[in-house]
Amino acid sequence: MGLLRDWTFIEEAVRIPALREVVREALIKAVFTRDDRVLPRGIIADLSRAPAATVKVKDDAEIRKLVQVFNGSESSVNLGLAPEDYHYFRKELGVGKDRDVGVVPKPRVLLTYDWLVPEPRGVQLDFGAYRAVDLDGGQRAIAQVGATWKDVYDAASEKGHLVPFVPTVPLDFSIGDGVWGDAPYASYRAEFAEDVNALRTVSAYGHRTRLGFEEVSGEGAGYDLLHAILPLADEFLVPTEVAFRLVPGSAARRTLTYGYEDAAKASAALDKLAGSLRTPHWVHMADAGAAGVLRPGVAAEAFTVQLGIGGTAAGLAAREKAYDALLTGYKAKAADVPNPFDVPADVYRKAADRVGRSLFVGEVRMPIKALPAFVERAKALGQHVSARPSLYASLRSSGTLSAFPAFESSKERHRVYELSKGVANAVAEIPGATFVSRIAHLWDDSPGFRRRMEILRKLKLEIDAPRVIQPLVVP
Amino acid sequence: MASKDYAHRRLVNTLGPERVAQGELERMVYSHDFASLPKAALLQWRLYPDFIVLPQTTEEVSTIVKLSDESGLPITPRGSGTGSYGGAVPNRGGVLVDMRKMNKILALDAANRTVTVEAGVPWGHLAEYVASKGLSLGLVPIAAPASTVGGAINSGAACVGSYRFGSLRNLVLDLEVVLPDGSIVRTGSTNDAGGRFADLKSLFLGSEGTLGIVTKAVLRIQPEPEESRAAAYAFRSLAEDARFLETIAGADLAPLHVALLDRNHFVFERALRPDVPEPMDIALVALQGHKDEVLEQEKEFDALAAKAGGTRLPGNDASDLWARRFTMYGARRLSRGLAVSSNVVPADRLAEATAEAHTLLRKLKLDGAIHLALQDPTSAVLAPYVLMDDTRPSGPAALGFVKKMGDAARGLGGHPMGLGLFMVFNLYKMHGRATPFMGAVKQVFDPKKKINAGKTTEVWTRFTWPIIDTIPPFAMGLGLDLAAFLRRIKPTRDRFARAYRRVGGA
Repeated sequence: MGLLRDWTFIEEAVRIPALREVVREALIKAVFTRDDRVLPRGIIADLSRAPAATVKVKDDAEIRKLVQVFNGSESSVNLGLAPEDYHYFRKELGVGKDRDVGVVPKPRVLLTYDWLVPEPRGVQLDFGAYRAVDLDGGQRAIAQVGATWKDVYDAASEKGHLVPFVPTVPLDFSIGDGVWGDAPYASYRAEFAEDVNALRTVSAYGHRTRLGFEEVSGEGAGYDLLHAILPLADEFLVPTEVAFRLVPGSAARRTLTYGYEDAAKASAALDKLAGSLRTPHWVHMADAGAAGVLRPGVAAEAFTVQLGIGGTAAGLAAREKAYDALLTGYKAKAADVPNPFDVPADVYRKAADRVGRSLFVGEVRMPIKALPAFVERAKALGQHVSARPSLYASLRSSGTLSAFPAFESSKERHRVYELSKGVANAVAEIPGATFVSRIAHLWDDSPGFRRRMEILRKLKLEIDAPRVIQPLVVP
Repeated sequence: MASKDYAHRRLVNTLGPERVAQGELERMVYSHDFASLPKAALLQWRLYPDFIVLPQTTEEVSTIVKLSDESGLPITPRGSGTGSYGGAVPNRGGVLVDMRKMNKILALDAANRTVTVEAGVPWGHLAEYVASKGLSLGLVPIAAPASTVGGAINSGAACVGSYRFGSLRNLVLDLEVVLPDGSIVRTGSTNDAGGRFADLKSLFLGSEGTLGIVTKAVLRIQPEPEESRAAAYAFRSLAEDARFLETIAGADLAPLHVALLDRNHFVFERALRPDVPEPMDIALVALQGHKDEVLEQEKEFDALAAKAGGTRLPGNDASDLWARRFTMYGARRLSRGLAVSSNVVPADRLAEATAEAHTLLRKLKLDGAIHLALQDPTSAVLAPYVLMDDTRPSGPAALGFVKKMGDAARGLGGHPMGLGLFMVFNLYKMHGRATPFMGAVKQVFDPKKKINAGKTTEVWTRFTWPIIDTIPPFAMGLGLDLAAFLRRIKPTRDRFARAYRRVGGA
């Protein structure tokens, strides 16, 4: 959400200056921390134009009408406002003739932070009440974007299915947050996108438009626009429903919990697991700090690894033994520690509240072997900035660890910036590691990344030709 | 536009005379792919390229693409030509870029389990190489072993192993691509960044080479399995067999591959080789992984199959079927030609889908067989094939089956696979109001329509004059509907297998 707008804004702002490299980072910092002392007046004005109205969506027809008013194809609207013409509508929103005005979805929960450049005077779409789930189509679900992950997970479990993706950091995300927010959905097998079959959307022309195929995967059906734009889909179209795969439920399921004394032992065990062809549903890791937040009152080792496995009741015991043999080096193993997902909804939400108090800066992706090096650097960073770090992570079958460092710190913007920079510097010293966050992408000034963003920007301008889906902002 | 002599000189200056061909024989070889094209297609398209070039480096590909600005000749990239929809066949001549000289395996990173290859590497060669290092590809396109890495990426191929390891998108980590302006870009990062924010690789999967020329790929590889097993089950009817596959998709099982082969497939195979099992409707299940898991799952499959009315075949039969998993179309020898209709259908409607395919074969009086493979718990690739002899008047009409089968797949909630020269009429039917976005993608990458144009969002003809330079997609569809109609009114059934046996071979 908003990455193209933020990136365009920064690119355009530093297009002329001769000292682009120097100016660029200083500008990102000033815009991110909203340092009005150093920002030009024009930029301050752009950053101050917050969305003028919020619409609680109950039906996608409302979005279609709104979009049609914004793109000029409908001159009146039945939204509780006076049915006036297009220009009156813009005037009401405080948008001048020379500016584009559009719609932007409101995330339910953001793991990290909001975007730099707000949707200027546009309308924010609140999908909180748009939360129905259709589970009647075999191994697939179609969820409205406002449905919470936990509700979908529980509803699917009742029907004998399993939602294949779980949030690495268990906050109370909506399904839409996986599309326009930063909900870190994934399974052991793959990333969230791999499980998404289709998006139902409203296009910039106000039409219901489907990307992908709801019932089946989209192999060999032309350009796979769905997966190319999925993390930015809300800048091209307004997503309203997500169709994704379900996993057949197991006859028996079990959560295995292993405690490790240090990162080296945990890393070695997880490396062995990733190097095998075992197929747990998910593999999560939390350090002592994170485990304490997830399960207060339960003593935890320095690193706790949890696996969700399934199978027949008879086969599960043998499988558990096999995992024990793989995940060697553990100090303690427990069978009665609940996982964060299969708990009642109110327990899940309470835990999410506790987790949400920490400050998250983004995702660090690294080969599992690099975990000790990263933990060391994160500790050093925490000491340097006086913010105790903790770590939530999940493993992929490819051997990549997706880690979310969290800090006990106030969520002030300058603090977020400082910690983001610290994590980026730490990651830069670890071979094969990448810091994936919105601000890290703005820092990336490499020609390859710029070229890809330029292509995506051109594509956005083609698909959103009427400029009503989060229009780009030029300072 | 520069003359062809000039274009030839420039190409020879770039690559040397030994890697530029323009002889009649070479041009004929490159004028078709795996599909059997009726001669009448030459009236509609210039299928013969003007030149065939064989670049060895990304920079050479880039130079060839830039030369197209001077020569005005369109460019068609091609791997091994194992596709069936004309994606690698020129429609207006021009320069055909055969990527098979870019066939080096550049690096294997065993620690991070990735392999970096040039786009012209055949899958068979790559699988052998990876196995020699104690690792496995996990996922291999159905057109392997001859198809190339780049070819499979461009066709968005369905794969053997995707039920276990995910789609081709999951296998590909990063691509190097020469864009239509000659620039060289990477679609993402060689580090696993999870495809976040600005990863363009998905656009190139299934793009039929119309957005740029893939020159290198970084692929994920898997640990070597401790145990591999194949089991085959025979069923009394196609419906029972299909329902067995539906049950598998609804169960918590992780087979490597599950396929259905109908009785007719074995009738054809038996006509060619006597050592083939008795014709039956057969399900083939392949398992890979740790020994305990494989054995446990094997028992579960046996129980599921018995419940569905299946009988397990001897181990030798299963091993033979598994070994021949990539040689599905030997029946081509019975009839001189063959057309495959690949479609993705919902995994919970396989009995309906196979019945539909069977009915169509009967109605159109075709000799054909049904092949189906599960891709994931929601999807299966239904790929029936029909035998055809394009030297007979009724032969090309068999292509009508491909159209009708695609329509049936859509009716079931699925979609046909492949666009290329033949299937563009499906684009709107598949994508509805998202179709203009497909045009937008092409416009952004290739505004001058240099690379493999006229195959995804519009159908070019061989002519460049207005009005007749393109065929309206619906007209293509109508033509194939007419072909299907002609098949229906044909008084006799095709009997290729019987005819083959009668004359005692080819």
